[in-house]
Amino acid sequence: MNINGVFIEDTFAEAFPMRATRVIITGINYKWARHAAETMTGFATSVIGCKVEAGIERELGNHETPDGRPGIAVLLFATDRKTLEAQLQARIGQCVLTCPTTAVFAGLEGEGQIALGKNLRYFGDGYQTSKQVDNHRYWRIPVMDGEFLCEETTGYQTAIGGGNLLVFARSLSQVLLACEAAIDAMSMLPNIILPFPGGGVRSGSKVGSKYKTLSASTNHPYCPTLKGLPDNVLDKNVEAVMEIVIDGLSIEDLNLAMRRGIEAICDLGKAQGIEKITGGNYGGKLGPHHFHLREIMGGDQT
Amino acid sequence: MSASTIEYKGSGDHRIDMRWLQQAIEQDLSPKEISKSTLKLGSEQAPLGDIFTIDGKLSASEITLKNSTSQLDYVGVGLASAKTLLVEGDCGHYLGQQLAGGRLICNGSALHYAGCNMQSGSIEIMSNAGDYVGGSIAGNKRGMAGGRLLIHGNSGDFTGDLMRRGLLMIAGNIGDHCGNRMIAGTITSMGSVGENAGNGMRRGTLLFPSKPASMATGFSDCGRHSLGFLTLLMRDIRAPESAFQALHPMRRRVQRYLGDASVDGQGEVLIWIG
Repeated sequence: MNINGVFIEDTFAEAFPMRATRVIITGINYKWARHAAETMTGFATSVIGCKVEAGIERELGNHETPDGRPGIAVLLFATDRKTLEAQLQARIGQCVLTCPTTAVFAGLEGEGQIALGKNLRYFGDGYQTSKQVDNHRYWRIPVMDGEFLCEETTGYQTAIGGGNLLVFARSLSQVLLACEAAIDAMSMLPNIILPFPGGGVRSGSKVGSKYKTLSASTNHPYCPTLKGLPDNVLDKNVEAVMEIVIDGLSIEDLNLAMRRGIEAICDLGKAQGIEKITGGNYGGKLGPHHFHLREIMGGDQT
Repeated sequence: MSASTIEYKGSGDHRIDMRWLQQAIEQDLSPKEISKSTLKLGSEQAPLGDIFTIDGKLSASEITLKNSTSQLDYVGVGLASAKTLLVEGDCGHYLGQQLAGGRLICNGSALHYAGCNMQSGSIEIMSNAGDYVGGSIAGNKRGMAGGRLLIHGNSGDFTGDLMRRGLLMIAGNIGDHCGNRMIAGTITSMGSVGENAGNGMRRGTLLFPSKPASMATGFSDCGRHSLGFLTLLMRDIRAPESAFQALHPMRRRVQRYLGDASVDGQGEVLIWIG
């Protein structure tokens, strides 16, 4: 399949099941809500090293938030419920509770509930009070700027992590331009995050390593400086490869995100130096969810 | 939606215990069976059919009680969810006691103990209510435990006595000892509040447009604040059609008093400002 001269490889991107939650952070204005959201989602690129993958989903208008203030929706993904809950509490406690003027609310009904303010309330040292409104319990914790308001629990659900695209281009600047276009297009969508810095990954990994202690290592078949070695798959005219990793709440969300991303890249086309798009296919070792690129793009096109 | 009607025929000055209605609903009795059963009137007994006219099965989702007067006690006791009881006229004591999820609307006034020990659901009284609204019957340790009780008129003394949870809204004035021994929950008013508010209050919120005539001595003035939770609460308060809809949905600035220290309490009296 070729779209605008860009070859879409007949392969699939391999993804794995995760547990996800959404929280809504509000503040006196977007500036402070965003400070909390950005801090909370920092160091949350990959479950391999960070235990959780997190990102800002989107900005919410005053009419979309529980307390009628500007807000930010944040999605967090982890491999299991327990880790998700532990990471959520640690991050809310260190990054939102501490951030002036903010409040935090549940953003997902979900399959079950995990603690949000349930344990954080003890920071109130006995001065905390709760208020139940419309079957939701909120904790009010006295802090130095007034009260930190947080909902007792938030919902979580099964989700998908590790959806991905690999983009091959003739130069670094061209692959960056293409990925930025794809990231901009995908960032408009709900229910997904791109957890890596700016949405792009330059250190794509493969499963396993020659070193026994490592579970993942550099994806050397895609490293341009190793072109010509037996394992390397890059054509001689490819000078840079970039990956975009996508976590989403459902298969449909990932399908749509990948489609929008591929479309944005292909709009630039071969003329802009984009050679190929492929997916991170690990031969089924990584996970049960397989996103076939050509199916996503609606079958054969030349 | 199915509907049935109960009409009170009027029967002298005796007080009438309406708990038969709850039993009839639970046992799914037919109008004929109900009419044959007897009801105590003072020291005598009389067939229910002599006192009430029942039209339609009480398994209906909506029941209308017509020609109700303040002689009728325990109207809507334990009313379960998915049931609506419309009361045309006044009610006696214990209106909606232990309400269990049902919807009760009284278009007149109620005497004492309206909504006492109610668990969930909603009660709306179009006129006034007596003492111990949302309170507890003697001997119980906890009063109203959930749901919404809206009174468009005034309420008497000891409003919300031992209240545990839920929302008590009085569009008019509240008598003395409001929130007495309150455990948690919210009481709000659009009018004035009498003496000794918040006495023995442990937790919970009293939210008023002006300071009560007096508050229990164990309250500290915490100053003026903008409290975020009020925006959430305001959604609940402004939901039913009432005088409370005049409040701005984003209003959150209040003068806060914390107490009652005499019981190591962390209840709060909030007075709207700004």
